[in-house]
Amino acid sequence: MIHPSASLSALLGAAASLLPAAHASAASTDDAINRASYRFSDYDEDALAPASVIGDGKRYRVLSQVFGLDTRIADGRFDLKLDATHEVMSGSSPWFVLPDAQQRPIQVLSGATIRDHRSALSAALTSDPGARSNTTWSAAYSAERDYHALSAGVERRQALGDALTLGYGGSFSHDVIEPTDAALDDRIARATKNSASAFASLAWVLDRDSVLQAGVQLNAEHGYLTDPYKLFSYADAIIPEHRPGERAEGAALLRYRRSFAQIDASLHVDYRYAQDSWGLHSHTLEVAWYQGFGSGWRVVPALRYYSQAAARFYSPFALVADGRVNYSSDYRLGTFGAFSTSVNLRKAIGRWELSIGAERYHSAHGLALDGGNAAVPALVDFTRAYAGFDFGFE
Amino acid sequence: MLAAALVASLAACAAQPVQPWQRGHLARWDMRWDPDATQAALAEHTHFSKEGSSGRVGAAGGGCGCN
Repeated sequence: MIHPSASLSALLGAAASLLPAAHASAASTDDAINRASYRFSDYDEDALAPASVIGDGKRYRVLSQVFGLDTRIADGRFDLKLDATHEVMSGSSPWFVLPDAQQRPIQVLSGATIRDHRSALSAALTSDPGARSNTTWSAAYSAERDYHALSAGVERRQALGDALTLGYGGSFSHDVIEPTDAALDDRIARATKNSASAFASLAWVLDRDSVLQAGVQLNAEHGYLTDPYKLFSYADAIIPEHRPGERAEGAALLRYRRSFAQIDASLHVDYRYAQDSWGLHSHTLEVAWYQGFGSGWRVVPALRYYSQAAARFYSPFALVADGRVNYSSDYRLGTFGAFSTSVNLRKAIGRWELSIGAERYHSAHGLALDGGNAAVPALVDFTRAYAGFDFGFE
Repeated sequence: MLAAALVASLAACAAQPVQPWQRGHLARWDMRWDPDATQAALAEHTHFSKEGSSGRVGAAGGGCGCN
C-alpha cells in the first residue's frame, strides 16, 4: 500500500530551485514561468510462466493520464501547482503461494480479472517562489473504489549562505480502505491507516559545474498495514495474511548533478538507502545522462538498480503451524533485485516540448545484494511506455 | 549539533565560492534535480507500487497499490 506522506524526493524536488538564477538560459519551455503539461503512460506486466502458476497468468496493466498546471498567482507572490491524475487498472494479481510435492512454490493468481480506476488531485502553493528561501504548503486526495487517501504537508527551504540551502518539512496522511467483496471473501470491511513523515536536506553548490544534495527522512505508519487481498498458505489452511500494525522507516538520499555544458550534456546520479522496523532494507541507484543535440532535440538514457532484503515475516508459505503472529507471501516484501533501463526522447518546438519514452524493468531473486533464501515466485517484469507534452505560456 | 557540524564541514569545503555570474551551467534545465517532475512522479509511483521501500510518494497522494 502506498503511504502518501511527504517524502525526501518531494523535498528535494522542491529544493530544485536552490539556484535562484536557474533555468534562465534554456530555450523553449525551460524558462517558462507558467506551464501546462500532459502525460500518458501505459504500464504492462509480463505474464508469469504457466508451469509455476495457478490461475490467469496475465498480470496487471495500468493506463495513466496526468494533467498539470504550474502558474504564478497574486502578482507573482505565489506559485500554484495543480496535478490531476486518472488511472485505469486491469488484470490479475498474485494471491497466495502453494507448495508443490517437492515443496517448490506455485504462485496462485487472483481468479477474477480486476478492473478499477484511481483519480487523484494535488495542489501545492509556494510563497515567494523566486526567492532562495520560501515555504510550500501542499494537499492531495486520491480515490479508488476501495481506497481513499487524504494528505497535507509543509516544507521550508532556507538559504544558508551562497553555497548551501537547507530544506525541511513534514506531512501527514489519513488513508481508508474498504475492500471489495469483504463479506464474501472474509476480508476486513473497513480499516484506516495514518502516516507521518519528517525530512531534512542540504543542497550544496560544489563548483560552477556540480551540485550535491544529502537528505534524511523518517516515516511512521500506524493502523491497518496488511494487504486485504492477499492470502497465506499456513500449514493445511489458506488464511488472510497479517502484518504488524506499525512501521517505522528511515532513509538517506544523495543526489549529484554534473554539467558538461560544452557538449550540451549533464550527468545525474541518485542513491537512496532505506531501512524499516519490519527488517526490510533497500538500496536504490539511478544514473541518467541528459544529452542535447541542437535544434531542440534531447535524449535521456537512464539505468536504475534496486535491491531489497526481505521483511522478517515474509515467506512464500508455512509448511507447519509454528505460531507465527505475522505472515505474508507478498513478493514486494521478499528478497530481490531489479534492473531497469529507460530512454526519453524530447523535441522542443517553440513553446511546446514533446516527450516520448519507455522503461523496461526486470526483477529476480538472484539480483539482490543480500537477504534471505526464501523463494519469491511472483516477481514482476514490466514495460512502461509514455508520451506527453509541456506548453509554456505568459 | 550533528547538522551544524555537517553544515560547517560543507561550508569549509567550498574553497572557491561560486559567484552568481558563474552559475550559468548550474542554471541549465538539465541540472535541475527533477527536470521532468511529472514524469519522475509517474515513474516513482510505479516503482513504489512494486517494491518494498521505494522513495516518495510526496504529499501528492498515492493509492492502494494492492496488486
